[in-house]
Amino acid sequence: MKTPRLSPQTLRVLERFVERPTAWRYGYELSRETGLKSGTLYPILMRLAKFSLLETKWVTTEDGVPPRHTYRLTPKGAALARATFATARSMLKARRPAFSGGRA
Amino acid sequence: MINAEFPRRVATLLLRFAIWIAPHDTHDWGRGMLSELHHVEGNWPALLWSLGGAGVLAKHAMLAVILPGSHRRTVSSASELFSKETPMRKTTLAAIAACVVASLLFFLAPVFRQAFQVSLAQWHDVFHISQRWLGHGPNPELEALAKKAEQNHDAEALAFVAVRAANQGNEPEAVRLADEAVHLDSNLTWVYAVVGTPCPTSAEIDRWAPALEQWDPQNAFPHLMVAEKIDCDEVEHGVSALKPREKSAAWQDAMAAAFQSPKLDTYFSRQRELDRRVLIRYRLRDPFQAISDGVSFGYGLPSYGIGDSDEYAKSLLESGQALEFHGDRKSAFEKYWTVARFGQMMGSATSEIFVQRYLQEAYQRLGGLSEAEGNHAEAAFYSSLKDRADQAVQRDLAALRANSRGSDLSHWSAFLVRFSGLVMLVCSGLLLICALGVFIRGKSLRLTALQPSSLSLAIGLFAAIGALLSSAVLYAGYRPYSEILQRFITKGDEAGLSELSNFLFATEVPLGAHGFLGVYDAVSRFWFVVTLLCAVALCFVLLIHFRLRRPATASA
Repeated sequence: MKTPRLSPQTLRVLERFVERPTAWRYGYELSRETGLKSGTLYPILMRLAKFSLLETKWVTTEDGVPPRHTYRLTPKGAALARATFATARSMLKARRPAFSGGRA
Repeated sequence: MINAEFPRRVATLLLRFAIWIAPHDTHDWGRGMLSELHHVEGNWPALLWSLGGAGVLAKHAMLAVILPGSHRRTVSSASELFSKETPMRKTTLAAIAACVVASLLFFLAPVFRQAFQVSLAQWHDVFHISQRWLGHGPNPELEALAKKAEQNHDAEALAFVAVRAANQGNEPEAVRLADEAVHLDSNLTWVYAVVGTPCPTSAEIDRWAPALEQWDPQNAFPHLMVAEKIDCDEVEHGVSALKPREKSAAWQDAMAAAFQSPKLDTYFSRQRELDRRVLIRYRLRDPFQAISDGVSFGYGLPSYGIGDSDEYAKSLLESGQALEFHGDRKSAFEKYWTVARFGQMMGSATSEIFVQRYLQEAYQRLGGLSEAEGNHAEAAFYSSLKDRADQAVQRDLAALRANSRGSDLSHWSAFLVRFSGLVMLVCSGLLLICALGVFIRGKSLRLTALQPSSLSLAIGLFAAIGALLSSAVLYAGYRPYSEILQRFITKGDEAGLSELSNFLFATEVPLGAHGFLGVYDAVSRFWFVVTLLCAVALCFVLLIHFRLRRPATASA
């Protein structure tokens, strides 16, 4: 399966999604939480959606306010994110002794 | 003061435009960004949000133009399957509009307007818009300036227009304006010399030369004017004498007075100063009007002036020789010295090249006389003067060659300006044809009803990009010359003026013509090609007409 390139910014976005995997998230909310500008965030979201790792939905919030576009990881996306973070954690654990002066 | 809501409104418009040009498969994302805009806190952060989002959509729009297959919309129905690819068309239309707007924005810069005007100069001879070289071409800008100057009683501006009218061969107007200018300000009497030079046959010379002589009694110029008028009258009556000895007494008197005059002033520097003052006062920026080059009329001298001086100097040298032969060395010395002094004067006012023959001979004879009298020091002095004159001739010849050829840079810039001007015209024509074609096909003026074909879009995009690129090249190619002109007008800095003059001279030659000698061939070729293309177009239209008619006739 082809997967998007997981840049540090993409990992930051995935991290936010993994925190609450079933919740639908707004673009502006994600931007504030990750500190990414719209010009960086949306290409990441678009790429994730292109690889079917992200699903989108329009939701109506309140009267007079236009519906908002919301995003959530697909089961495939959630699995990939979990696997990525698990790998990252294990790599971090393996490296730790080298940087902690032998106190594992 | 900017309205606080203004950035948010701009942000909304920007995102809407980005969505409009974006490929269809990114519309949801674009609308998502737009809906989030309502939740962004602060007006300036909203604008930043919109800029980021618009950038993303614009990138996708560009990709859709470059790689049309990369943004195919998923077809959901049969009708959609056969419908036109609107996102792609919108993107192309947006690109065309952006290029056209960017090209038009160039016209806001005065330098570009000037450059465009210069690029059109090559068409003057082709369409006879202004017969700069044949004369009698009305110039609306000069006419307007003359009217304004008359209303303001501005003598300098009247003199400015008079000089240009004379150079363009409009003698009656030149005479009228010059007289009016001198009437308002007698300090401008020198204008008679400048205006009279290109109009040697004018009856006014008989009136102007004495007036000029009275105003500037030490100058040889009015006497040269009189001599030239006599030459012209003789030529007109078919009694032109070849030898100076056979010339009329009036001519002899005029030339004798010229050779006795203590100075020779062509009033070129006065003219330059007046030009600058008028250009500043009336904010004139036409480079062709600003640079009125006296070089084209024999360095500002009457056109017969150089020939007349040459003939008269020769006759003086001959009579000096005769006097020397009869032993009258003192009188011979005076004759030779008169020639040498006038030659020095004429050489510094014009060019050493024109006085070379008689000046060097005069020095040689003066040296010979000194030698004969045993005055070796004086003979050596005349010999050194002769050598110096010879060096000056070589220097002037080199300068003249360089000046007449013009630098490679000025020729290259002139080519760029003419070529980019031509490309701009062609691209504008193509855009106009495409727009007309689309409106005629759509049979409506409503933008939504118009369905441009792929060919129209492709030609339109090509023409729009061509117009934008040629505008940029035209601006960049002309800018250095505009700066030279600006420096001359505002500061009187004459550095680079000859380069500008060469450049302007070259821009008047139509593309494809080799110098001014080839202008008329180029003009003939141009009209031949235009006629041929018209004939081909007519044949094409007739062919289509008969092909369309045949089935109708057959069914009838």
